[in-house]
Amino acid sequence: MIFLRRQVPLLITMITGLVFAAQYYIPHPASEQLLTSATKWLQIIGGFALVLGVTSLFHQHAAKIRRKEAGWGYSLVLYAGMLGTIAVGLWANGKESIDGAMTVFGWIYSFMMVPLQGTMFAILAFFIASAAYRSFRARSREAAVLLIAAVIVMMGRVPLGEYLIPISGDLSQWILNVLNASVRRAILIGVSLGAVALSFKIIFGVERSYLGGGKE
Amino acid sequence: MTFAERMLRIDRRIIFVVIGVCTLLPLLYPVGLPIKISPEVRGVYEYMEALPERSVFLLSLDFDPASKPELHPQAIALLRHAFRKNLRVIAMTLWVSGTGMADQLLTQVAMEMGKEKGKDYVFLGWSPGGTAVIINMGQDLYTAFPSDYGGQPTKGLPVLEGVLSLKDVNYAISLGAGNPGVEAWYVFGKDKYKFELGGGCTGVIAPGLYPLLRSGQINGLIGGLRGAAEYESLIGQKGRAVAGMDAQSATHVAIIVLVIICNIFYFSLRNVARQQGRVHS
Repeated sequence: MIFLRRQVPLLITMITGLVFAAQYYIPHPASEQLLTSATKWLQIIGGFALVLGVTSLFHQHAAKIRRKEAGWGYSLVLYAGMLGTIAVGLWANGKESIDGAMTVFGWIYSFMMVPLQGTMFAILAFFIASAAYRSFRARSREAAVLLIAAVIVMMGRVPLGEYLIPISGDLSQWILNVLNASVRRAILIGVSLGAVALSFKIIFGVERSYLGGGKE
Repeated sequence: MTFAERMLRIDRRIIFVVIGVCTLLPLLYPVGLPIKISPEVRGVYEYMEALPERSVFLLSLDFDPASKPELHPQAIALLRHAFRKNLRVIAMTLWVSGTGMADQLLTQVAMEMGKEKGKDYVFLGWSPGGTAVIINMGQDLYTAFPSDYGGQPTKGLPVLEGVLSLKDVNYAISLGAGNPGVEAWYVFGKDKYKFELGGGCTGVIAPGLYPLLRSGQINGLIGGLRGAAEYESLIGQKGRAVAGMDAQSATHVAIIVLVIICNIFYFSLRNVARQQGRVHS
């Protein structure tokens, strides 16, 4: 059993990892066909992952409601919302409108989901302003540099800022294009090298946490 | 408690009111300050402008309703430009929760510009797999999307004539609010299938995409509401983004003033504390 649970997945990972790393550099039609098939598989697996995610969410909240844990009422709302949306979605065949007429599914999407998500994002402006007032203080030299850069970029990104301080637009462009881009690139290169190292560790079976921590 | 201490602990509802007023007043009484065009937005505009008629333009609307205020105006401006240039538009999304919104948006702009579904544009919808969809489209567009969002088979659609994969796309733009978005389109799409790529994103993630812009991995970037307003100005059809710039201007300035005030009180308190320390010692 250990062979099936450990060695076989490790072997599949190693072979798949090496084959697809090599595939990128081989422009042969057979190699391209292999990639086409694999990505088709990935899309199908992606669909299953969605079902798995929804099932897991159902289980988690069902347990919360059953045990009447703190905030179980919210779980009930989630359950009702999800089941209701799935039901009307199936009824409407997943369409928001049929022959120009809005379905109930479309109504839920347009008049509930869109404004709710928009509201959640919009209230961020208020909280950011409050948080900035409370915590954006020049306590150290580093914090002062951050503060000045933020003020310049904020001024340079809006017409009123450029109108009040005409140089702020060019300064903001310089900060974004030179300072920000170079630091971001350094971070990106570091992250990418880390990803390459991790990929090698997974391919050669050094990193095995993805197999889960079950009993052997 | 001194005045400075009281000001530092000001009720946050006062700040909320200030921000609310700064957002609302410019929307009710617009000023219309001139908007300077940045080189990154001009890059997208000029590339679109240089495309010959009936070129294939792919627009991936990779965002959900949460990012609608910033990315919706960008999408509208880009679609208006593409339809005006008589480009063939292929629209899609990698975000399932944005599918309905993307469909409504495309249908609305196409109707406004008098374009015909299937001939001038197609909405492919969403397909599971995240970034794998991009690779699959690069290999074979019809495997990734055998039918469009309306359920019509994609093979044989006049708008897709001569388009087999991403290699046949003349210009692609991803309007991304996160991952998968612009970066995924570069890593899994442009890098392998060699089409020209531009980007659009929310203001928050724009700084993270500057390395791609500076290295030419994307040929332009429309960042946030400001980017959308710049694009609207470039195509000469001012819309929601330009209207929203006054509100954003006022809010930015209000936040800057608040931060300056809080720092003045913070330093005054620190000075008092230091002086008291000297007296005691």
